Amino acid sequence: MFTATIDAALLKDSIETLTVLVDEARFRISPEGIAVRAVDPANVAMVSFDLTPNAFDDFSASDCEIGLDLTKITDILGVAERSDKVIIELDEQSKKLSIGIGQISYTLALLDPSTIRAEPRIPQLDLAAEIVINGKDLMKSVKAAEKISDHMSLGVEGETFFIEAKGDTDNMRQEMTREQLIDLKTGDVHSLFSLDYLTDMVKPASKSNEVTLHLGSDLPLKLNFNIANGEGKIGYLLAPRIESD
Amino acid sequence: MKRNICINCKGKGLCGRSLCPILEKFRTMESVSSAVSSDGTIFGASPPAVFVGRYGYPQVRAGPMIPPEMDAAAAQVLEDPKQLLNMDIQDVIAERSRLVRASTTLNIRGSFENKLLLKSQELALSRSAVDTEAKLSKPLSCKLKFDDVLTPMGPVGELKDFDLAENPKVPRKVDYLGYDTDALTKDAVSELFGGGVDCQHITRLLSIGLLGQDRRLVPTRWSITATDDMIGKDFIDKIRDYQPIKEISVFSGGCFGNYFEILLVPRIYSFELLEIWMEKSVWSGNSSWIGQDMEGLDGKKGYSNLTGGYYAARLPALEYLARIRKQATVFMIREITPEYWAPLGVWVVREAVRKALGNSPRIFDTVEQALDDMATRVRTPAKEWKPSSRLLDDLKFQTTLDAFL
Repeated sequence: MFTATIDAALLKDSIETLTVLVDEARFRISPEGIAVRAVDPANVAMVSFDLTPNAFDDFSASDCEIGLDLTKITDILGVAERSDKVIIELDEQSKKLSIGIGQISYTLALLDPSTIRAEPRIPQLDLAAEIVINGKDLMKSVKAAEKISDHMSLGVEGETFFIEAKGDTDNMRQEMTREQLIDLKTGDVHSLFSLDYLTDMVKPASKSNEVTLHLGSDLPLKLNFNIANGEGKIGYLLAPRIESD
Repeated sequence: MKRNICINCKGKGLCGRSLCPILEKFRTMESVSSAVSSDGTIFGASPPAVFVGRYGYPQVRAGPMIPPEMDAAAAQVLEDPKQLLNMDIQDVIAERSRLVRASTTLNIRGSFENKLLLKSQELALSRSAVDTEAKLSKPLSCKLKFDDVLTPMGPVGELKDFDLAENPKVPRKVDYLGYDTDALTKDAVSELFGGGVDCQHITRLLSIGLLGQDRRLVPTRWSITATDDMIGKDFIDKIRDYQPIKEISVFSGGCFGNYFEILLVPRIYSFELLEIWMEKSVWSGNSSWIGQDMEGLDGKKGYSNLTGGYYAARLPALEYLARIRKQATVFMIREITPEYWAPLGVWVVREAVRKALGNSPRIFDTVEQALDDMATRVRTPAKEWKPSSRLLDDLKFQTTLDAFL
């Protein structure tokens, strides 16, 4: 059983955090909220998504798991104004999800969860450095790096967080001290990441005032932020590129 | 090649090619012109073939292609890649040059009542050669057509009248999709291909305005690539759900100086093509040139910088993966050697890749070993082409999350 009412804007933003990596996902629904763990087809990036019942105007659910075509949902939500309320209701018998937006009501077929990639195992990582940064600032840096290369380094040296991109002939470097950041836990680290992925991840993150980055050396990046006034938690994990000699 | 080298050379072979494309052209011209009767009438079996030009778009030249005095059996060969494959380049040019492009100026949308177009459409529906009769108002102009995408074609004549001398043989699928103006072009194309209609036939239908909701003439050059792309996209949708292949495999082979090395890696679908035009091959002149393009699981956005050859090379690779019901990361090298001295069109690419994928693969433990093996057969040294690849970089340097479990 599952019925819920939620702001269209919030639902759109939530779905977007998933669609940057996957086209379809398994949603684990319980009285404690909704959880998704999904990995992109190339196994390079992972998202963990948790939304508490408080993010909803109305929420009642018993334990169940459903598979959804996210492309379709995003498309449908396109008809909703950001201020609209969306009413979601699961019909377990007919395996359909009804989505009501104002006077419009959609009935969508669910995907069989077993046809969607299984939930990934999550690596346990010991990441020394932690950077808390404004989402918009992070997006600006990523955009700046894109002009030079397909990948960029993130690292910490002493009291400085740095972003670096090296192209065939040109370089870009940006340094931020503790004062320009929200918080910084130091440890001398750096790793290289694909901008294809980073660009996608910072897009939803840019709407958040505080984005937390956990970094190690040649280890995956953890990128965490909240949505829905702290009632939703998004965590990305991105495997690094191992630097060439 | 410096442009004036031909003037100094006059067919002596200074450019390093084994045959002079300019002389070859006139040799065939002579034989075709004599087959047109003095009142401008030509009889011949069309393979079938139609041509829609792109100059002046949306006012384009279009019409049937007819080899004067050729019978059905001989004509069929002209549009059949499998048979053209068994010839030398100069024979392909010589044979294809017998196809007279009998054309008239038509508007891409406004000419669907024109009798010459209706007859050309009737011809295009046919699966096999059709006896035709055409009347030309002017003597043939001695223009052979060469292009990177199009198959070579013979001289042009202004079409005055055109008729079929027998009924076209129309496969059932072609018949009903040709009259179905509700089906989208892409759906019609995938249904035709699924029903065993070959690429040449689909291209012919598309270009002469017989597919889709919004009927119009599509220049042949564009319709060839559009067909390759539409069928390819269909395959990508299918294979994205398949399991990766089991082993790192390398296929090699080719034809007409188009040599392919194809590396398949057990990984999610993506495709990269490196084109190496060696010096003295068509287009490249006295220096070699390397081009690159790639796509991921989302397919390709926009038109490839490698033009039609990219889609033509991708199609057989996808066809192969769909056949074995697996997905893979595909890294392909196309090395164009000086043996490819005249452009024959992208069907050469399609057939060369099919041929390579028909050979048995070599199996390797690592991508590095596979690349070393490929490098022994590619004439251009690896240090020249390896840096051009983006995909190899990804394979080598991008880690995956399961490495950190």
